[in-house]
Amino acid sequence: KVTEASSGSGLPGVDILIKGTTIGTSTDFDGNYILENVKTGDILVVSYMGFKTQELTVNSTTINVQLVEDTESLDEVVVIGYGSVKKEDLTGSADLITSDDFNKGNVVSAQQLINGKVAGVSVTSGGGAPGEGQNIVIRGLGSLSLTSSPLIVVDGVPLNDGGVGGSRNVLNLINPNDIESMVVLKDASATSIYGSRAANGVIMITTKKGKDTEFKFNVNSSTTLYTAIDEVDVMNADQFSNLIEQTGDADAIARLGNADTNWQDQIYVGAIGTDHSISALGNAWGVPMRASVGHSDHEGTLKGDEFKRTTASLNLSPSFLDDHLKIELNARGMYTENKFANRDAIGNAASFDPTQSVYDENSIFAGYYAWTGTNGYQLNLAPTNPVAQLALNQDTAEVRRLVGNAKVDYKLHFFPDVTATVNVGLDKSNSHGRNITSEFMPTSDTSWNGSRTAFTQEATNKLFDAYVTYNKTFNEDHSLNFVVGHSYQSFEFDNYSYDSEDEEDGNTYEFIDKSKNVLLSYFGRLNYDYKGKYLATATLRADASSKLNPDDRWGYFSSYALAWNIHKEDFMEDGIFNELKLRVGYGEVGNVNGLADYKFLTSYLASQSTANYQFGNSFYQTYRPEPLNEELKWEVGRTFNVGIDYGLLDRRITGSVNVYLKETQDLIASSFVDPFTNFGNRIEKNIGDMENRGIEFVINTTPVKTDDFEWNVNYNISFNDNEVTKLPFDQAVGGISGGVGNNVQVHTEGEAPYSFLVYEQVYDATGSPIEGVFVDRNGDDIINDNDRYINNNPYADVLMGLNTNFRYKNFDLAIVTRASLGNYAYDNVASSTSYLRRATENSILTNLHTDQFNSGFVNSTENSLLSDYYISEASFFKIDNITLGYNLPNVFKDTALRVYGSMQNVATITDYKGLDPEIDGGIDNNFYPRPRSIVFGVNIDF
Amino acid sequence: CHDDLDQSPIDPDSFTQEDVFADASTAKGALAKLYASLALTGQEGPAGQPDIADIDEGFSQYSRMLFNLNEITTDHAVVGWGDPGLPDLHGLYWSSSNDFTEAMYSRLAQVVSFSNSFIANASELSETEVEAYIAEARFLRAFAYYNLMDMYANVPLTTVISTELPMQSNRTEIFAFVEAELLEIQDILLAGNEYGRVDQVAAWALLSKLYLNAQVWTGTDRFADCVIFSDKVMSSSYSINMNDANGNGSAYDELFLADNNTNGAQDEFIYALNFDGLQSQTYGGTTFLVHAAIGGNMDASEFGVNGGWGGLRTTKSLVNKFTVDTDALNASLGTQSDWGLVGSATPNGWDGPDAEMHETGTNQYAIYVTLVDGEFKFRFAEDWGNNYGDNDADNTIEPDGSNIAVTAGTYYITLDLDTLTYTIDLYLGDKRGMFHSDGQNLEIESIPPFEDGYAVKKFKNVDSNGNQGNDAGGDFVDTDLPLIRLAEIYLNYAEAALRGGGGDLGTAVNKINELRTRAYGDTSGNISSSDLTLDFVLDERSRELYWEGQRRTDLVRYNYFTTESYLWPFKGDEVNGLSVPDYRNIFPLPINVLSTNPNLTQNIGY
Repeated sequence: KVTEASSGSGLPGVDILIKGTTIGTSTDFDGNYILENVKTGDILVVSYMGFKTQELTVNSTTINVQLVEDTESLDEVVVIGYGSVKKEDLTGSADLITSDDFNKGNVVSAQQLINGKVAGVSVTSGGGAPGEGQNIVIRGLGSLSLTSSPLIVVDGVPLNDGGVGGSRNVLNLINPNDIESMVVLKDASATSIYGSRAANGVIMITTKKGKDTEFKFNVNSSTTLYTAIDEVDVMNADQFSNLIEQTGDADAIARLGNADTNWQDQIYVGAIGTDHSISALGNAWGVPMRASVGHSDHEGTLKGDEFKRTTASLNLSPSFLDDHLKIELNARGMYTENKFANRDAIGNAASFDPTQSVYDENSIFAGYYAWTGTNGYQLNLAPTNPVAQLALNQDTAEVRRLVGNAKVDYKLHFFPDVTATVNVGLDKSNSHGRNITSEFMPTSDTSWNGSRTAFTQEATNKLFDAYVTYNKTFNEDHSLNFVVGHSYQSFEFDNYSYDSEDEEDGNTYEFIDKSKNVLLSYFGRLNYDYKGKYLATATLRADASSKLNPDDRWGYFSSYALAWNIHKEDFMEDGIFNELKLRVGYGEVGNVNGLADYKFLTSYLASQSTANYQFGNSFYQTYRPEPLNEELKWEVGRTFNVGIDYGLLDRRITGSVNVYLKETQDLIASSFVDPFTNFGNRIEKNIGDMENRGIEFVINTTPVKTDDFEWNVNYNISFNDNEVTKLPFDQAVGGISGGVGNNVQVHTEGEAPYSFLVYEQVYDATGSPIEGVFVDRNGDDIINDNDRYINNNPYADVLMGLNTNFRYKNFDLAIVTRASLGNYAYDNVASSTSYLRRATENSILTNLHTDQFNSGFVNSTENSLLSDYYISEASFFKIDNITLGYNLPNVFKDTALRVYGSMQNVATITDYKGLDPEIDGGIDNNFYPRPRSIVFGVNIDF
Repeated sequence: CHDDLDQSPIDPDSFTQEDVFADASTAKGALAKLYASLALTGQEGPAGQPDIADIDEGFSQYSRMLFNLNEITTDHAVVGWGDPGLPDLHGLYWSSSNDFTEAMYSRLAQVVSFSNSFIANASELSETEVEAYIAEARFLRAFAYYNLMDMYANVPLTTVISTELPMQSNRTEIFAFVEAELLEIQDILLAGNEYGRVDQVAAWALLSKLYLNAQVWTGTDRFADCVIFSDKVMSSSYSINMNDANGNGSAYDELFLADNNTNGAQDEFIYALNFDGLQSQTYGGTTFLVHAAIGGNMDASEFGVNGGWGGLRTTKSLVNKFTVDTDALNASLGTQSDWGLVGSATPNGWDGPDAEMHETGTNQYAIYVTLVDGEFKFRFAEDWGNNYGDNDADNTIEPDGSNIAVTAGTYYITLDLDTLTYTIDLYLGDKRGMFHSDGQNLEIESIPPFEDGYAVKKFKNVDSNGNQGNDAGGDFVDTDLPLIRLAEIYLNYAEAALRGGGGDLGTAVNKINELRTRAYGDTSGNISSSDLTLDFVLDERSRELYWEGQRRTDLVRYNYFTTESYLWPFKGDEVNGLSVPDYRNIFPLPINVLSTNPNLTQNIGY
């Protein structure tokens, strides 16, 4: 029997092997094992993940083993590109988060597992919809126009950068329960083995694998209750009718209704979500395997929103030829059904006159109230009844996605130091979606008879990797690990769409959009280790992308890193440090991710049938030469990183410190070009430089650790300063609503990207803004564009995560909190919906944001929209999650049960006046409020 | 697998140069793009594949920007929207980063680039029709340069596609280029062409416009050449539309209806932008002119669209140009008599003094008079002793008869004492003044509210029978937009002749009277040679061509655009108007262009 030394309980799945042979077995659920054909004097090797391996000489028929937990945990293996290393031997900056550390509670997509857990990584959801996309940024923005999301690698298969049509989130592919660990590679010395794909860091996801044990099962089931907790501050019916009676003319007053409708209450509802999954793991017919099936069904708080997902995964890891040939097969399939509630209802609910009823029996629009003109149809500048928008529109999509790979490792028989690996992967998704609008939807179009659009999208990403690994230790002290290989990836997209209204108009109604690009790479990595004290790594990757012109197609990216395990030095032997490692690294990565294809070729785009031109009595399809840049080349990022990893007091305190400088050069940005020299006024061009500087600090402590009570506290803090260091001319970005074509942000030299560019509001003696009066900052007596100035930016200067776990006997409690300091937001809801004239313009009534009571603004002008009055600090502290669990280790024989309850989005502390200070991109408008959710779940192992 | 790196487009909408210039018929699609780039905004209607970046696609349409830069900057139009760069235009305080001045520059430069590329590629083709295509491309390039010279003065002159940054040319050099090109292609262009494509008359007409402005642009007057080329146009097959297809009393409004490519108006259009509600969709063009002008209590269905955008109105400076001068009209009738109108409908009420009629013959009297709702009678010498009314509303008068009821309006009233009859006809006068005043204030107190300023009803998406255009949804408009039409050339001729370019002033008066006869539906608005002054021609250009993209250029030519000599509401951002510095007679080179191309120097003042 094998037991855990501290508790005495049996350990299942422990590997026992006769040294020097392949004969072995593993323990059953109670920790018992039987191994036949054992001779006295044989040496048994007993090993189990997380415990110190023991070797015992056979001297009796019953051998009980007590395994001691390996508190040093330095044997933790970290998956890096094209291989893995022991954490101790790592020379770059990589954070490993295993399933034990994952966020619990309502986790629908994989990104949520690590939110707040890793220094320098920010995860921001786009809104409160179930399965919503999560934007991950590692160490600040690295690009202006290209993708700034990290590369995601699932079991060695790098995923597509692009989104998947009909899906809210790329990572909805994976059931979070299937994930074993996630590794965040942050600095270029760690990522540059992925060369051009790794410019924004890499997240390596390793899924749970089959084990060579008796079959075990895990069942997980949870229910989530969602409640909408916040709404935009608009006027209520009383406030609004008072305002109209005081300020409106007779026509306006006559339009007031008698109802008292809170339109936002009408569109948000309480919602329910359920998750169920089951997994099986064990040896099936001699092959270690794991299989899982999961099903989730979550409604959104916006009425009609729904996310349904079924996932299945299978892992087989057989080995042959005395373990010389190892095969790993992973297949993971997902089927999601999405219902997208019409998000236009969010803005319209805030705008709709609260004195009108939802229904109107005289309405020709299925009885929904609408602002109509004399012909009974809706006035064309009137907002549409948001309740009708949700009820009369169906936007649904199904996505099927398969990610699979087959990896074959062959350790050469005649030269076992060399392993040859081939990894073939496929990532294929297929989406079908449609948007059907009822003939009863309120409209100004008197010929309206409903509409239907549909699309299908197929994305195929093929991977072929082949590499050779040479692993050898010379004279016990010199270890060498050398990898050299080749990678080929192709990305194909094939989209089709249909539009019923185009068909009715006699126009082309089916559209096809296709593209393909290829990435070809060679890579090599050398790790050298002297006595485990001195480590060196060098990598080189050569990438060629079909997106770039043949002359500039190849990019060469190298990295170098040194590490010193100081604690292994003799002079440290008696110190308190279990680990003290100094790391220095420099690396380069490239980027063309997100760049459109064929931008260097002269091509002509044909017009669609709605943009043909008439000569005589015929309409001609036109051909437009497309803007091009023959000189596009790689965007190159260079990172310099110095770090210290530490562990002390028997690893009761561990952590790391990193300081980095990341420069991105030849940034590709859509840049103004003299229109006399090209076929447009903008081309993609390598134009600027950007810099991120930062410090990250992590400390994990276990202040109390007894058999009954354990308390862990993990804290991380990161500072990042992002600055555009070179940009020949400013780029207006950050489009807002209110007027057409207003931008509130700018990329400009010397400032952070997406800095706010605004007019300086003038205030009266009482501190109220004076409408239309701004500071003439350049003193030319004219207020125009030249008077705008930079006022902060949406990115936090400081991000913090503070997590704590308590375990008392069978209870556990986890609290996850996060803070963001120094991020600013532009309140576009207030700026575009609070001016007085809006209430009565266009011959209708429109509700106002209550900021009208503060600003008193009458008109909306470009200058007032772009006033710094609407910029405010949006720092926040959030309690993301509190989870309380109770474990019953032996509820039945061989059965462990855990029940838990969890609350998500518990509290937000902020001075920001808008709905939610956590706004990706810093422009707060029509935000889908993040609901509060409460989860009850049960987890059974048997 | 290295070969796999050489991917080429697999999208079915994407073509190579070889595909497009395979022969004359495929090249016609590339020619169509040159025309389309001044009418539409991209390859997907109404928006989706824009030609120009950095601006809302709907805003980037040529004639919409032309309206913004040449009409909104003047007394002809104000717009209530707060879109970036838009309020700056009427207030005359734009900066060099103004969105519209930049986008217009980009649009016109792009037309030059497209044309340069087309000319180079089409020259490889041998079919005969390609010769005309190339000449048309050269016309469009010259047209783009004409605009660039008018608006920005000093721009690079490029005739080949090259990534090398071009040098700046001055206005005189651009002028010489445009002139030389037009003179050269006048005989290569077809003598007549299919609708929508230009022929040789277009080259003459553009030369007429060019020479009219030569003094402003080059310092050397070319009015004599203007007269010559205007004359060539006037002697061509183009004719003023006199077909009152919808029978509303004037053939002028037909020029701006949905069927203006077939209702007769097309005979007047020398160069027009073609639109179609289904197949040539844009948020600019006439779709913009129709929708944006509808607001307040206007009924969109009257205009053949599904609603208004509530933006555009006009100032009293334009409205007042259409005021009926009844005194002048009456003076032309004959001598003032003792017979007059008296009553509650007349200006002085029942107490008089009476509105005196004019003697048009023996016992024949007439008067143009503006009446209000009420009644009136005829009387002699302000004395009830001799008065007539109408007892049974049969247009026959009886002594001491009943009062004659009338509703408000301007009337032409005749009295025949031989037959004891009278006529009373509503006098519409100049029917080109198409304003919506109900619920609108003539005076503008503040720019944003739609109610301030009269609305304009000139452009409609209904045909001559009153039917809505092709787009049943009422979003997009069929109406084509003339950029050069014969009426303008008449006015060019008159102005050039008045400015000493020779020609015949009698012809000028006749030509103007041809326009005024159409405008009035009769000869009542005709002028005599003594009326023909430079200021009259400018006002006549306003009346004939308002909202067609000409006004700023006209005001600059008269030196009225920036100066104190002519003020209009909110000129210089002041209610009653204010002069602005002269440098605003041209627009700044866009700041983005300057920072991209160091060879360029900013226009003085900016």
